[in-house]
Amino acid sequence: MGLQTNTMTQSPLVCLRELNKEYGNFTAVDHINLDIRKGEFLTFLGSSGSGKSTTLSMIAGFETPTSGEILLNDTSLINIPSHKRGIGMVFQHYSLFPHMSVRDNIGFPLDIRKVEKGERDKKVDEILNLVQLGAFADRRPSMLSGGQKQRVAIARALVYEPEILLMDEPLGALDKKLREDLQDELRLLHKRLGITIVYVTHDQDEAMRLSERIAIFKEGGIVGLGTGKDLYRKPPNAFVASFLGNSNFLKVNVTGPTSAQLDKHHIILDDLHEMPINQQALLMIRPENLQVLTHQQAENEVLLDGFNQISGTVNESVFLGESLTCSITTPSGHQLISKNIATEQPDLEPGSTVFIRWNSKHSSLYSKWEQSDINKNASQ
Amino acid sequence: MFMAFSIKKWRVGMLLLPILVFLCSFFIIPLVGLLLHSITDPKFGMQNFAQLLATTTYAKVLYNTFLVSILVTSISLLLGFPLAWCITLVPKGWGRILLNIILLSMWTSLLARTYSWLVLLQSSGVINKILMALGIIDQPIEMVHNMTGVIIGMSYIMIPFIVLPLQACMSAIDPMVLQAASICGASAKTIFFRVFLPLCKPGLFSGGLMVFVMSLGYYITPALLGGVNDMMLPEFIIEQVQNFLNWGMASASAVVLVIITMAMFYVYLKVQTDSPVSSNTGA
Repeated sequence: MGLQTNTMTQSPLVCLRELNKEYGNFTAVDHINLDIRKGEFLTFLGSSGSGKSTTLSMIAGFETPTSGEILLNDTSLINIPSHKRGIGMVFQHYSLFPHMSVRDNIGFPLDIRKVEKGERDKKVDEILNLVQLGAFADRRPSMLSGGQKQRVAIARALVYEPEILLMDEPLGALDKKLREDLQDELRLLHKRLGITIVYVTHDQDEAMRLSERIAIFKEGGIVGLGTGKDLYRKPPNAFVASFLGNSNFLKVNVTGPTSAQLDKHHIILDDLHEMPINQQALLMIRPENLQVLTHQQAENEVLLDGFNQISGTVNESVFLGESLTCSITTPSGHQLISKNIATEQPDLEPGSTVFIRWNSKHSSLYSKWEQSDINKNASQ
Repeated sequence: MFMAFSIKKWRVGMLLLPILVFLCSFFIIPLVGLLLHSITDPKFGMQNFAQLLATTTYAKVLYNTFLVSILVTSISLLLGFPLAWCITLVPKGWGRILLNIILLSMWTSLLARTYSWLVLLQSSGVINKILMALGIIDQPIEMVHNMTGVIIGMSYIMIPFIVLPLQACMSAIDPMVLQAASICGASAKTIFFRVFLPLCKPGLFSGGLMVFVMSLGYYITPALLGGVNDMMLPEFIIEQVQNFLNWGMASASAVVLVIITMAMFYVYLKVQTDSPVSSNTGA
């Protein structure tokens, strides 16, 4: 953590300024601004077509921005061709040179830079050990498994010590178990080398697991930027809330700085919002922040300060081993999903009346939202 | 148990019979016949080959055949490579149109195409007339009934045989591999020579070999566009058969052609052991 706070004070390594990319009438990347800090692991997260890969391609130099600026150490990259940018990149389908051995694949960037033979071999051997592929040095890529190929690709991108490593869904083609192993390896590698990594993925678990910061892309723009924890706990908007994890959305009327009306219930809000009074707003609560209590429990346990309580009817409860999810309908017809650690939870019969409590600190409030943001969650 | 197994094996083996009969009757028997002709006609012995190697005409014919084949292969590779590249690079619809144009020229009668070259290249032909009208030359250039004509005509005919395998090979190359080379620091020139060209090698080899072998045995174009002094092996064979009725000699020179071709193919298999393109999809 000490290192991280240190790097935060430094000037950013890469700056994207009003970066824009249009294909005819279609805007792939819409005037984004972003600072990439030195040494951080930043992930571009978004569904396909959200502009995350296009942004990465522009940093790599494979795509030319329609307008805007890319700065690396305060120097513009716009007119520098990709082979002179000194950036490392790992591709989704490995993109190894099929006609070269593993050793020559990794040595290729050094050969281009005319590194002296002895030093080249030494560096290649070092990096082969780092990615644990020493035994495969003389094989052709076609004789390697997917995970091994991707390790070669990572080695090839790291061998010339670039300042920044771009990774475009590098684990997308691998199966789940291997992907998780490589995620752990990658996180350790990042800690060990201190290199700046920009990672593109559509997998939110992967983004959470790997990155220090996540930039969430939607329709060519960045709609959320921050640590995984912050984005999950206090999503800046309804889209981020529904995109990251599961969420419950309730329409409320704001009645005061910390109060609102949900159907006939008076509820307490977190005081962090800046909502005008007497307006409809969207309240978001994560399923794991909803406590479900039976009638009995609700009578026995006092409602704590800052907590809200509403009633509902159980539709269905599903035991998932470590957790129990429960779908509940409020009297006014709102659908809610709760998720709790299963050991603490009594059995909830369908049709029984329950009480739902949540801490107002765990709720977020949005004044603007699109129906698609909320529906996306329902369809998942 | 053993009996049952061997019967089953035999039955499976039987399935190969039709193709074996086909191969024997249409390829092996004629080849053996050719070989027999060359050593038995007019009497048993190697006299046909001895005579063949003793004649200077034959040495000249062999030299011509190889020279023309090498030049035609080189020229069609040089012209076919950019063409195949072009077809691979242009947007899909255009690539298909270009490919169809090439195929169309292949499907047009060989005779018609060869005579067209005759019309274009002859002393009073279109090309000479244009060059003279432009004042570039005073005298018509001799472009037919010599080796120049043969090489021009044959290169034109052979280009599709280079383009088709080469284009298939190029379109199998993952463009991301080239991008990867670029981000590794390779300039366009380096990418071309260190990555793209090596990946085209199988296409270049198979196309080149096919054209070379076809050129060795090509008859119509050299016969129409070539001159009497630059006779090639197929013309020599025809001459032996039609003018001298010397079947033994014709067979012997055909056998030499077959042996050379087989030697070429052997070298090809030795040099081109693996196919990088087949491993390209996974890497």
